[in-house]
Amino acid sequence: MPRSRLTLLLLIPTLALLGAFLLLPYLNMVVMSFRTPSTSAVFAPGFTTANYLNALLDPDFYYLEILWDTMVLGFWTTLVSLILGFPLAYHLARTQSRLKTLLYFFILSPLLVGVVIRCYGWMIILGPHNGLINTTLKQLNLIENSLPLMFNTFGVSVGLIHVFLPFMILPLLGSIQAVDPALEEASQSLGASRLRTMIKVIVPLSLPGIQAGSILVFVLTISSFVIPILLGSYKVMIMPTLVVQQIMDAMLWPFGAALAFILSITGGFVIYIYLKLTSRLVPSSQ
Amino acid sequence: MACDLTIMTTLNLKNLSCHFDDVVAVDGIDLDVGDRELVSLLGPSGCGKTTTLRCIAGFESPDGGDILFDKASVIGLPPEKRDLGMVFQNYALFPHMTVSGNLAYGLQMRKTPQQEIDRRIGETLEIVQLAGLDDRYPNQLSGGQQQRVALARALIIEPRVLLLDEPLANLDAKLREEMRFFIRNLQKDLGITTIYVTHDQAEAMVMSDRIVVMFNGRIHQIGKPAEIYNFPATQEIADFIGLSNFIVCTVTGRGDNDQYIVDTPAGTLRSTTNANHTVSSKVIMMVRPEVITLHTGSVPGEYNEVEGVVMEKYYLGSAITYRIRYADEGVLQVQGQPWSEFEVGDPIWCRFDVERSWILPSESN
Repeated sequence: MPRSRLTLLLLIPTLALLGAFLLLPYLNMVVMSFRTPSTSAVFAPGFTTANYLNALLDPDFYYLEILWDTMVLGFWTTLVSLILGFPLAYHLARTQSRLKTLLYFFILSPLLVGVVIRCYGWMIILGPHNGLINTTLKQLNLIENSLPLMFNTFGVSVGLIHVFLPFMILPLLGSIQAVDPALEEASQSLGASRLRTMIKVIVPLSLPGIQAGSILVFVLTISSFVIPILLGSYKVMIMPTLVVQQIMDAMLWPFGAALAFILSITGGFVIYIYLKLTSRLVPSSQ
Repeated sequence: MACDLTIMTTLNLKNLSCHFDDVVAVDGIDLDVGDRELVSLLGPSGCGKTTTLRCIAGFESPDGGDILFDKASVIGLPPEKRDLGMVFQNYALFPHMTVSGNLAYGLQMRKTPQQEIDRRIGETLEIVQLAGLDDRYPNQLSGGQQQRVALARALIIEPRVLLLDEPLANLDAKLREEMRFFIRNLQKDLGITTIYVTHDQAEAMVMSDRIVVMFNGRIHQIGKPAEIYNFPATQEIADFIGLSNFIVCTVTGRGDNDQYIVDTPAGTLRSTTNANHTVSSKVIMMVRPEVITLHTGSVPGEYNEVEGVVMEKYYLGSAITYRIRYADEGVLQVQGQPWSEFEVGDPIWCRFDVERSWILPSESN
């Protein structure tokens, strides 16, 4: 059998899996988002664009505001993950330490704990009444009223950044490792400080990793559900919580599907703009 | 490139030491490099030559000793404050910048006005014969071109000292030979104090004002290329630099003009040295293959003669290598003229000057 055919054969299980459990449900949801809503059934007969129009043209901008909040949360989570992750990735890429494996383990550790347990852990730390931080600060008489650390965007962001940091660090690590350390030395020998070297040489050359990590964290954030629910309750409303609310609680399947697609398309558009902008920073030599 | 003739740069290493974990890389070396001098650090890999260079550049922190630029210590100064030009073995060109971008980098760090930067890029590219390649990216250049961009990038900042870390190691043999002359001429024209690290003895010979031979983190000899080649201090150096015949012998007495009479398996020979050897001490005589001439008969005179038989013959084009068996066991390698017509089995007389018969201390002592 020719090699290409064999390769195709090996791809079949994966393609079948993706087709049956990703593509078909997705298509089903596209269709669903154009169906007529009904109060007595999942949907009524006939098709309509009303679901999209209702979401986009809501006079109070309720849905668009939630969409905006979702993107802002995605932006901040990604930015903070990048700022926290880059030094870590750089250190891990360059270290000669024998503890390197241990460092790897620490970086992956958030992924080794289930999401619910991890969130309850954060609740113990961030909780407004019995939380570790608030009780400690109160007992030291540093504050009188509890700091709002949870059930708000801050608490949600902490939980998101904690678990998504590995998704930022791993792609960064790969691309920083690919940057020849001699380039840093060349930069220094030409009179650049370590910080200038970082900005002018290492960051531009590790751009593919920055892009990959950013996209991963952004996509994971704007589609996150469990962490915003547990650490934000329903006080932090973002698109995934809204979608689930519409589908599961209000049983408005067509409307929920439309909201989900508005989120997908907006997310895709933001990523496209991001790639366009960042790719311009580094002239390609190809 | 404007070259300010009033700038003098000397470099002094004083008892410099550097170690990694429990490996001593540089073990207390002293070296004085004069203004405009090109000094090579030559030695096998792991001899500490690169570590020494990296200490000078500021990429390694020495454990002890001092490094002086123009009599002022640079210990504690980060690399970017040392005003050095460095050329790396793999060139280390910034792949995301054009040739111009690479050259402008060091000047931008020095806040040079853009107009001045453009002018100097043009001049420098002219000097390294790369005019017109300003807008190319490093991966669009050949190895030799990349090498010259690396050189240009180091020179354009008009550094006090130029450091070259095996810059020719990645080039093919022919280009490597051309670049030796090119770099040497450039260095002389610009009058820039230069440290050149290499493990290639031919490269060191061609390019250097002086060669520093290093083994195991220590300097074994410092001298002009001809001194190192003709009068090596030890058998290790003689063996590392060029081809040598070594004849084990015993000192039997002193002759005229600092000559020593030695007893060898090939009979009594005379030799020169700059060291003192007592009578009956074991020594090694070094004779380079190219100083030996071959003759069909013995003619008494003021030179050494060894009788032997042609054992092997290899035609090299520019020369013929003969291997001569003498005194049953010994073998002398001789570089004969390419038109010489001795054949395997011919009885032969090897003749060489007493001044070219250099005595080294026996390593077994």
